Amino acid sequence: MYNLHLSPEQLEFRDTVRGFVDDVVKPVTLKADRLDLGERTLPLPVLDQASQMGLRTLALSEELGGVGADQLTCCIVTEELAAGDADLAAVVAETAMLGKLLFSAMSPAQRQRHQAFLDDDRFHLAYADHEPKSETALGINYHRPAAAIGPLKTTATRDGDGWVIQGSKDCVANAPLARLFAVEAKTDKGASVFLVPRDTTGLTVSENAEPRWYHGSCGTLELKACRVPGDALLGAEGSGPLLGRADSQHDAPVFQALNLGIGRAAYEAALEYAGLRRQGGRPIVEHQAIGTKLADIAIRLDTVRTLIWRAAWAADHPAAVADRSLPDLPLATASRIVTAEAIYRAAKDAAECFGAMGVMRDMPLQKYIHDARICLFSGDGVADLRLRVAESLANYRRGPSMQAAE
Amino acid sequence: MDFSLSNEQRAWQMTARKFAEEEIKPISLELDDKPDALGSFDWDIIEKGSRLGFRTMAVPKEYGGEGTDYVTQALVMAELARGDSAISKTFSQNWKWSHLISAACNVEQKERFLRPFVADHRFLLGKGITEPTAGSDNRLPPKDDNKAGLKLRAERHGDEWILNGEKCFIANAPVGKLFFIDARTDPNAPLRQGTTMFLVPYDTPGFRIGKVFNKSGWRFYRNGEMIFENARVPHINVVGPVNGSSMPQSNVAGDRTGGDLFGDLELAANALGVCDDACEQAMKHAKTATQGGRPLIEQQMVQLKLNRMNMLTEALRSMVMRVAWEHDHKVHSANAGLAMNLSTDVIQEVTELNLEIHAGGAIARAAEKLVRDAYIWSHLAGDTVQRLKVAGRLARQTTA
Repeated sequence: MYNLHLSPEQLEFRDTVRGFVDDVVKPVTLKADRLDLGERTLPLPVLDQASQMGLRTLALSEELGGVGADQLTCCIVTEELAAGDADLAAVVAETAMLGKLLFSAMSPAQRQRHQAFLDDDRFHLAYADHEPKSETALGINYHRPAAAIGPLKTTATRDGDGWVIQGSKDCVANAPLARLFAVEAKTDKGASVFLVPRDTTGLTVSENAEPRWYHGSCGTLELKACRVPGDALLGAEGSGPLLGRADSQHDAPVFQALNLGIGRAAYEAALEYAGLRRQGGRPIVEHQAIGTKLADIAIRLDTVRTLIWRAAWAADHPAAVADRSLPDLPLATASRIVTAEAIYRAAKDAAECFGAMGVMRDMPLQKYIHDARICLFSGDGVADLRLRVAESLANYRRGPSMQAAE
Repeated sequence: MDFSLSNEQRAWQMTARKFAEEEIKPISLELDDKPDALGSFDWDIIEKGSRLGFRTMAVPKEYGGEGTDYVTQALVMAELARGDSAISKTFSQNWKWSHLISAACNVEQKERFLRPFVADHRFLLGKGITEPTAGSDNRLPPKDDNKAGLKLRAERHGDEWILNGEKCFIANAPVGKLFFIDARTDPNAPLRQGTTMFLVPYDTPGFRIGKVFNKSGWRFYRNGEMIFENARVPHINVVGPVNGSSMPQSNVAGDRTGGDLFGDLELAANALGVCDDACEQAMKHAKTATQGGRPLIEQQMVQLKLNRMNMLTEALRSMVMRVAWEHDHKVHSANAGLAMNLSTDVIQEVTELNLEIHAGGAIARAAEKLVRDAYIWSHLAGDTVQRLKVAGRLARQTTA
């Protein structure tokens, strides 16, 4: 059974979000003063409107009050949003993915306490796992038993009927906007996850300093004698991190769809311009050199979309490996590598069609190149992801959580 | 075969290296970081470099310049670019037009313009070719469209020419004192037969600078709009024959960026310096930054990247120096254009590999800047038109 039909709902989502991007997002985000890297700010009113459309609670199940979209639908939506603005898409996707992850792990009482998430358009979520100076690259630990991630330094200590959390976190996506944080901290029983509302005494959030090398919003957390109630613990004590690896969240296919959306914006701009710009006696699209460049970009976008959608489908169908429909490969990591490299190349090629206009800071092409570069070089870089795939091919297993055992 | 440099060439190289390390490098990142297009220029560095001869390298000695050969020029461009690519280009842009003055201006014009250029440490040169609707068309004019190419109009009134129109992206426009301007003097003839070149001082009545462009890379390098509203230029400022500026067979061949001896070599040599900087940054980082307490260079992935960066850089160096030597020995070939095209691929891959080695944690500003600078090559040296032009030159060679 091989079926590439999108459901009527998925098609409707795509059309609706595409219309929203054309009518609402682009008029704001393509203004010259917002294209300059130094001047980029989050378009908050647009973000609110995206929330009102249900995109903030997109992945959360309907039983829990969300839209209940599967991973594939989330990818379709995120690509469309990112074609309008990568920052907007990043914030929405982060909250949407965490909404599903956190709220399905919460107890009914916890859900009740944080139910404002369902209705408050500015209620965003963040997952705080990364710590300053922690080494997340596989790098030197490739095929070695040593932990790829250093021991957790943030601690949670029992204090009467509550917990006191102490430590600091950085590279936390959505931190400057989030109302609720999931914080990884170590207890006597190992790595655990705590729900920490933004207004908790002792929690300080600051925005990352320039230069900007992330999409959306990013910041650091200081937790100084930060006291939370006993049932702030998400799941069981010592049950380990919810995300498994420091940045596995960004292996999620939606973030690749974001990367793809950047490439599509560059492609659409180049295709339009190539039809308008006349050099050599005709529109430049009629020259082989430009025509084939655009063809290569279109081919790359479609190849990448196929991989991303397959990875999303795999996430929606966890049994597909066991029933031998899919190969036992880290499909999401693999498609993240291909996507980042292909889209960076596509953005550079698209900008080349614009000549000198491709490097001007008040024009969108340099923004697309920079956005694509972020996907390629942020975190530990795409090269490090290859090592993970390589380990996986050889069935290398690193043993039980080194974080818990230190 | 002899790859050795003369003592004089070596001396120039060392002077440039010292200047790049001690004067350029310390201000490069700070200037790159200035948010607006005007803030990133620095006259002090121009003056200091000019005192060492870096502004007048290509002016013949009889006019007070340094009269260096192409090998020396390539060495110096690369060394300066190792400090900052755009600062190197701001100096070498003057060499490009010094070469043109030597090749195309008459004795009276040389006296009138070269002398003050040499004497004034803040005297920069530029040339206006590109217009909003004429970019690639100037480089590769279509055979079937006489109207294609630059449109800036010049009409003769007695001893004066009246210029009307505009240019864009013109290098050194906001900081230059003298410009070569290509203008259409016969609007019905094809570009090459209807264009005349004029010398236009910055204070010419009716001539002004418009917008200054804010670029993602080469931030020190000033590109601006030029606006001509009944600008009055005396007839004695016409360079070469009227309607003859862009004739390929004329020695006043206008800008054949890539076609002239210097222009192609310039971009390739500048790229080489950026690659040297990237290799140095990468090796330093690989040996000093650690993971799990061990230097990054212990990892095969890092070693392979260092290998590729250096391999590409040394291949580019061989080609750049060969082309410079060929220019000095009047060996004519398409190699300069090929070197320029190659330099685009090399500078981008090498700077991107450097950034990859620096990935993880906070992004290294210095590595990131080189990647932005390197992307400038995409529209100057490695776009398809620049490659088609060189292919055309190769084709003409084989039929000859």
